[in-house]
Amino acid sequence: MTTAPVPAGARGASLAVPSRIGRAGWLAVAGVASLFVVLIGGIVLGSADLAPATTVGILAKRLLGVDLGQTWAPTAEAIVMDLRLPRVLTAMVVGTGLAVAGATFQGLLRNPLADPYVLGTASGAALGAAIAVLIPVRTLFLQFGLLHGLAFAGALLSVTVVYKLSRTSPLSPLTSLLLTGYAVGSLLSAGLAMAMYLSGTGLRQIFSYLLGGFDGTNWARLAVAAPLILGGSLAILLRARALNGFLLGEEAAAHLGVDVKKERTILLALASLVTAAGVAIAGLIGFVGLVVPHLVRLLVGPNARLVLPISALFGASLLAAADVVARLLGGVPVGVVTAVIGAPFFLALLRRARTGYEL
Amino acid sequence: MDARPSRTLPALAGLLLACMLAACSAAPAASPTPPSTTPFPSTASVPTEAPTAAPTESPTPAPLFPATLNDDEGGTAVLAARPTKIVSLTPAATEILFGLGAGDRIVGKVEDFTPYPEAAAKIPDVAKFGSVDVEKIVSLGADLVIAGGNNFNPPESIKQLRDLGVPVLVVFAPDVAGALKDISLIGRAVGNPDGAAKISGSIQGAMASVKAATAGGTPVRTYYELDASSGFFGPAPDYFGTEMIRIAGGDPLTSGTAGVYQIEAEKILTFDPQVILMGDAAYGVTADQVKARPGWGTLTAVKNGDVRPIDDVIVTRPGPRLADGIRTLAVAINPGLVLPSPAP
Repeated sequence: MTTAPVPAGARGASLAVPSRIGRAGWLAVAGVASLFVVLIGGIVLGSADLAPATTVGILAKRLLGVDLGQTWAPTAEAIVMDLRLPRVLTAMVVGTGLAVAGATFQGLLRNPLADPYVLGTASGAALGAAIAVLIPVRTLFLQFGLLHGLAFAGALLSVTVVYKLSRTSPLSPLTSLLLTGYAVGSLLSAGLAMAMYLSGTGLRQIFSYLLGGFDGTNWARLAVAAPLILGGSLAILLRARALNGFLLGEEAAAHLGVDVKKERTILLALASLVTAAGVAIAGLIGFVGLVVPHLVRLLVGPNARLVLPISALFGASLLAAADVVARLLGGVPVGVVTAVIGAPFFLALLRRARTGYEL
Repeated sequence: MDARPSRTLPALAGLLLACMLAACSAAPAASPTPPSTTPFPSTASVPTEAPTAAPTESPTPAPLFPATLNDDEGGTAVLAARPTKIVSLTPAATEILFGLGAGDRIVGKVEDFTPYPEAAAKIPDVAKFGSVDVEKIVSLGADLVIAGGNNFNPPESIKQLRDLGVPVLVVFAPDVAGALKDISLIGRAVGNPDGAAKISGSIQGAMASVKAATAGGTPVRTYYELDASSGFFGPAPDYFGTEMIRIAGGDPLTSGTAGVYQIEAEKILTFDPQVILMGDAAYGVTADQVKARPGWGTLTAVKNGDVRPIDDVIVTRPGPRLADGIRTLAVAINPGLVLPSPAP
């Protein structure tokens, strides 16, 4: 399960790993603490020069109704309440979703390289977004929401197509899913390349979507996406037992009393829904969904009951922190930041994998 | 475990990076005003037009403010009073604002690799390629934002600004008429319609004199190169520069498809341009390089030595310098052309 310095007795196929609950508890505390730190950091830091005390004063007034006796310009309040706060929260929600979906896909497909986009979600969303840009609507009013709506639809559509097609194959369900996902993804990527070729000045908008980011976030969009992502993630968490079964292989899971077909479908659907909602509002952000679950598994072992919630906490912190870094660097796409943090980390993980890391 | 999905994000990111590099080389496709890294040396020799000399704002009997203005993409900006903290999110708008004498009211601008006039370089950047620092603009207390349409600035950022109560005018000039319309709109917005009329007049005058000088001649087959670092990129049929070449007495080679800037090498050779204009000269492309391209030695333009650099910025940036741009372009296409000197 992991090469972390762990007593030999802790390894094994047991679904619960009581000896690590203490460690997991500390990690959960650390996760909540880092979430809080990032939340404060994301609200205090930014390109506008606002005194930290002012931002705290605004938060206290608007969220808690406590007047700290400070005064500020209306623009400061707009910056804190309408720009920074929804942005940090959106990054956290999306980070939660990507990490949980990544852990689910990795466990379900028993593939360490699976990420939330493995079944064509990313290509579908990207093509949907590109089509939205290509639609010759030059009116901002109409354009708003179109890109996100089509990205969401594209992501769900491509996963559905992959799932349906994979069931017609005589190969084993998991192999078939992965290969179908690859094939459909390649086809969609070709469509995306064509759309980009034809996009003219829309290219920069397509491109910034592909890199991902939280530039345009607002409360309304968060309100639409958050229930889907958090609700879906919670539903996955409640199915951690089934996911634990899948870790042992589908046959073993069936022996443990898991309704393999049904649970697989439900988990795939939930993880895809969470991913689709995430990519619809934030674009394609890499590495969070791939690396965070691996990191957590290295620390607490493979038990999905621990991996899922702690991944959610760490995913939220990591993505929100990466967004703060991206903002402070002057609008660098957040996908670049997560990749720069994630790629070396992932390489290090791969080095460990040689010595026996398993899902 | 053995079925490795190579469609993991690293692979995708790599693909996108490749696309980005392609996109960079296709910079003209991504932006109606492709930034060049170095100012073009011959700009200095071009006669400077009068309107940049900051026309004074004459008080008019009808009050200009409050005003409700409609922009190029269906948006509306309500200006309670004469804007004093203006943010310019397109290089052309920055030039227009300076041309209108409103340069000292600009508090933030989009990153511009060839800022003009010189004073524009000192204005802090609040936006980059593909991203707008909404927070910064709000904190500067902007009371007018001129943004670029047709996806030049992210529509989401524009919506965010409007939601926060910042008046935004979205401008996009697909052609010369659109550029004149935008100059007039910006002139009205900053409270200087007379200055805008003067700039438009100088551009229209330059266009008219070029048209008069080239009238009756056969249009010169012109390949206007935007980029050749990987594949050849020239004007799309709907590109701003395409119309400029026509006005300047050229017969432009285009990709033939709206929005597409890539042109097959074979198509260029078949077209046999009489003049090759290197809009990418600022990126280091030289006539010798063009001559050395395989098969290009047979082209009329190469044989006659009609391969010339051109300052792409003044030709394709829809601002006050279009008057210079059209004259420079006309002379580049027809070297023997004699144009009347611009009216003072």
